[in-house]
Parts: sequence; C-alpha cells; structure tokens
Amino acid sequence: MSIASLRRYLSLASSISRLVKPSLGGNGYAASSTYALQTVGLNVYYGGRKILDNVNLAVPRNTVFAIMGPSGSGKSTLLRVFNRLVELAPNARVEGRVLLFGRNIYDPSVDPMEVRRQVGMVFQNPNPFPHLSIYDNVALGPRLNGLARNGEELDRLVEWALRKAALWDEVRDRLHEPATRLSGGQQQRLCIARAIALKPRVLLMDEPTANLDPESSRRIEQLIVELRDDVTVVVVTHSPGQAARISDHVAFLFSGRIVEVGPTREVFTRPRSELTERFITGALG
Amino acid sequence: MRVRSDRLLFYALLPFGGIVVALFALLINVLVDNSIPILEREGLNFFTSPQWRPSETPGEEFYGILAPLYGTIYTSIIAVAIALPTSVSLAVFVTDLAPPRLRELFIGLVDVMAGLPTILYGIWGALVLAPFLKDRLMDPLHTYLGFVPLFSCQPVTGYTVFTAGLILALMVVPFMTAVIREAYSRIPDTYREAVYSLGATDYEAARTLVSMIRPAILAALLLGFGRAAGETIAVSLTVGNSASISACAFTPGYTIASLIANQFANAGLYRHMTSALYAAGLILLVIGLALNTAGLYMLARWRKTRVGR
Repeated sequence: MSIASLRRYLSLASSISRLVKPSLGGNGYAASSTYALQTVGLNVYYGGRKILDNVNLAVPRNTVFAIMGPSGSGKSTLLRVFNRLVELAPNARVEGRVLLFGRNIYDPSVDPMEVRRQVGMVFQNPNPFPHLSIYDNVALGPRLNGLARNGEELDRLVEWALRKAALWDEVRDRLHEPATRLSGGQQQRLCIARAIALKPRVLLMDEPTANLDPESSRRIEQLIVELRDDVTVVVVTHSPGQAARISDHVAFLFSGRIVEVGPTREVFTRPRSELTERFITGALG
Repeated sequence: MRVRSDRLLFYALLPFGGIVVALFALLINVLVDNSIPILEREGLNFFTSPQWRPSETPGEEFYGILAPLYGTIYTSIIAVAIALPTSVSLAVFVTDLAPPRLRELFIGLVDVMAGLPTILYGIWGALVLAPFLKDRLMDPLHTYLGFVPLFSCQPVTGYTVFTAGLILALMVVPFMTAVIREAYSRIPDTYREAVYSLGATDYEAARTLVSMIRPAILAALLLGFGRAAGETIAVSLTVGNSASISACAFTPGYTIASLIANQFANAGLYRHMTSALYAAGLILLVIGLALNTAGLYMLARWRKTRVGR
C-alpha cells in the first residue's frame, strides 16, 4: 500500500474526528449481549448457488459497522440476512446462526415480523411510497405495528423521527405533500425517518448514498454517525472511503467470504490481507 | 429517406389500415344517420322517458330509453362491485401467494375464461345460475334482509337484474384481473422490501402495495364497466327483459344491448322503432367509447409513473 493513499484515508477518517472507542450500551436496552449482531457459520444459498460462505462476524452495539466489498460480493445479501428480508426470495436458504442481541433470529420460534420491527432498513435507491404523503410514509411503520395510541402520539413520533433524520425543518410545513416532491437526498432522509420511527435497535443501510449527489451523501454520512447513539448501524458500501469516514468497525467481503474484519483504523492502517489492501487503495473493483 | 421498395410496401399495406378506419367511420355514420329521425321526433324525451310503446298506429308510437339505460348502468354497477374485489384478490393471490405451478394454472384458466364464447355464460346463467340464485340466495335475502332497498322485492323468477349483474361480473373478472395483475406484478421489488422491512404481515404488505396501484385499479374498473355495459347475449338470457326502473335488484330489467337484440327482429313492423334502436345503439357506442377512452388514458398515464413503468 502506498504511503500517499494511506494518508488519504487516514485524513478522511480523522476528519470526522472520532474513531474507534470502546462502545458501551447505555440506551436502556438490557445488556443481554455486548454484540447487537453476531453470525456463526453463516451460509446463504440462492437455489444451488452459494452466496455467503461461512461468515462469522460480530457487530458491537451502538457502533457503525461497515460491510465493504466490490459489487457481487454478497454485501446486500448479508444485510438482508439480518432482518430476514432474504427470505422474500423464494429459493433462498440460510444456514448457521444469526444472533440479534444474543437471540438466534432464525430459530423456528422467532417471528420474522418481530425481527423486522427491531431491525430497520434503508435501501440503495430512495424508495418512499410515492402514493403516500411525507407524514404517512413515516407513520406507516408505527401504524402497521400499533406503536401510537392516538393521533397526537403519532404526530409526536413522526416529528421525532423526522428530527432524528435531520429533515424536520425542511418539511414541517409540507407534511401532507406527496413524498415524491422531495429531492433525492431528502427522500433518502425520509426513508431513514421511516425506518427509525419504529425505534429499531439496529438500522441496516444498503449503499444509502450510492445514488445521491456529493452534498446529499455528505449529509447522510453525518447523519449515520449521529444515529450511532440511538441504534447500531450496519452500512453496506462499495466505497472504502465511505467506510473509513463513518465506521467504527469494518468487514471486507469478497466473493461471499469475510476476508478481514476489525476496528476500522486497524484495517485501514495495517490490513492483514493483500486483497484488503488492494481494495482500500482502489486497485480492486 | 425511404428507399423505393420500402415506400412500395407502405402503399401496398396502407389500404388494410385504411379499411379499418373507413369501416369505423361508416359505422358511426350509419348510427348517427338512422338515429336522427327519432331524436328529431322525441327530442330529450327519448332519454328521459321510461315508456317503450310500439304501436301499429305510427302516431301513437313512443320510445323512451330510460329503463334500459338504467338497467345497463345498474347491472354494470353490480358487475364491477362484485368483480373489483374479486379481481384484486385474484391478482394478489396469483402474484404473491400461489406457488409457481398453481400460478401458471390460474393465469391460464383466467385467460381461457376471458376467451369463452359469451353464449356459454348465457345458457349456464339462464339454466343453472338463475334458478339456483333464486332459491338459495335471493329468496333468503329478501326474507331476512327485505328492509334493504336492494333486496326489497320478492323475486318472481331467477331472471333478474341481480342475476345478469352476477353473470357480467363473472365475465369481466378475467379482464379486470389481467389489468390489475399486470400493474401489481410490476411494482418494483424495492417497495415490496420496504413494506416488509417495516414489519408488515403478508396481508398488510398486500394492502399497502394494492393502494399503490390505485390508478391502475380505477382504470380496470372503467374498462370493466365498459365491457359489462356492452355485453349482449349473456345478459339478454338472464336479465328478464322487462322495462322497469326499480331500486330492487331482484326485479327483471332490461339493458340497452339486450333491448336491441330482442327488438330488432320485429322493429320493421313499426314506423319509428328501427330508428329508436339505432339511437339506443349510438348511446351504447358513446358510453363504451367514453369509458374505454378514460380507462385506457388512465392506464397509459399510470404506465409513465415511477411505479407503473
């Protein structure tokens, strides 16, 4: 790895001025596990094709965990294992254990709806429901899950979520306009609000800035770092730069296998694998 | 520029396209021309009077289309009211829930149903469905829920507005299902994922996604209504063919299409009846054109949106 590119990433990382700290729970959840998510011997198949091969990793709570890798490496599939969305594909098969705060979410006794309520998700393309207003997009999750007892409570929840997503000031006067009137970056922040309105314990983000302009991307990245205090964030990215800027821990996924995983600073300064080094210097995919 | 041989092909094939346009123009021309006498004779009364009075004495002839017009709208409303929830349910079932082989079977069956000769629906409706409905559904409904205007009259036979509406529903379901299923299955996966990621059950997900394609459903409704309004043979075999205007669905009625089909053979016996039937046909054409144009326009606009593409 060249010294110049090393410096580049180090400066990117430290410009956010917060790097790996020992993470403490501290948001009221029972400390049943120091890890928000853990996978043990995880294999995923689509039909006969193996997409993920013996993935073992642990996501400490209240951190930002980045999964980086070139396209086709299985990142998005791995993310969809964490909220059982992978099961929407009729020929998908999951082996191994996935622990959410210590509990195996693939246990037959676990209801996938319950998992998804605790594990929110933001997608690669901003996908607010185009037939719903800004307000109704955020209110949809709480309504589906009966989280608000009355209109006033729902109003408060929607406002809370929009504030957390740093969108409230821009939309407070136009809550009942169609969500599609917002710009791409605003729509993505709306999707973040929609996900966190359920007050999930984990937030999954699938390349959330891949289709946004640089300024909108920067705002979303800043938001991800702030959200860490409320939820554990797992973010998929194909950009090592983004992983360096926003994550506390990073996993490098290649061809369905974890090549390297560890604290972001360590992985970026002293990559143990040559493959990782090539990826973070941009020599790969 | 077109090369010579291509231009030749263009002019060689032009007449075939031209024939269609010319025939359509001719059809409208005949309808309008033949409608004018009765419209000049009766004016607005033609539309607003429920009386249909043929007479050997031309001076006493009077034709009002209101009862069949009412019957056309009433049977069509019953048809789409039954067909709409059925079609939406079928579309969701086939797209989301049915295992692949069952899905193919359903899609094939629905296509076959859409292509069946309508006379088959007609004889089955008249010989099997009508008596069955009278004994098993209409009589009990009248006995126990007679206070509802819809059920307020005792059915005399099985040939009623309700029976015709039900047969029509059966006939437009395949058609409406095709439109709705196309829209529903084209919703991008990302929205499906989004709604499931919020902890929705299958039912809640389907409900949210169905509400997403509301414009396409409205289009299906308009197109289905247009089809039901124009359907002739199955209706004339089941509707009872009697000019009446009643809120009760268990009375025999008439529709414009069944009126024309039933009266055309005898129309030559009277001076003005042929013209009256042409005018009735013109109204049917206008209703059909309006509903189909509106439906197709909505569908075309829907296909340009983010979800419908």
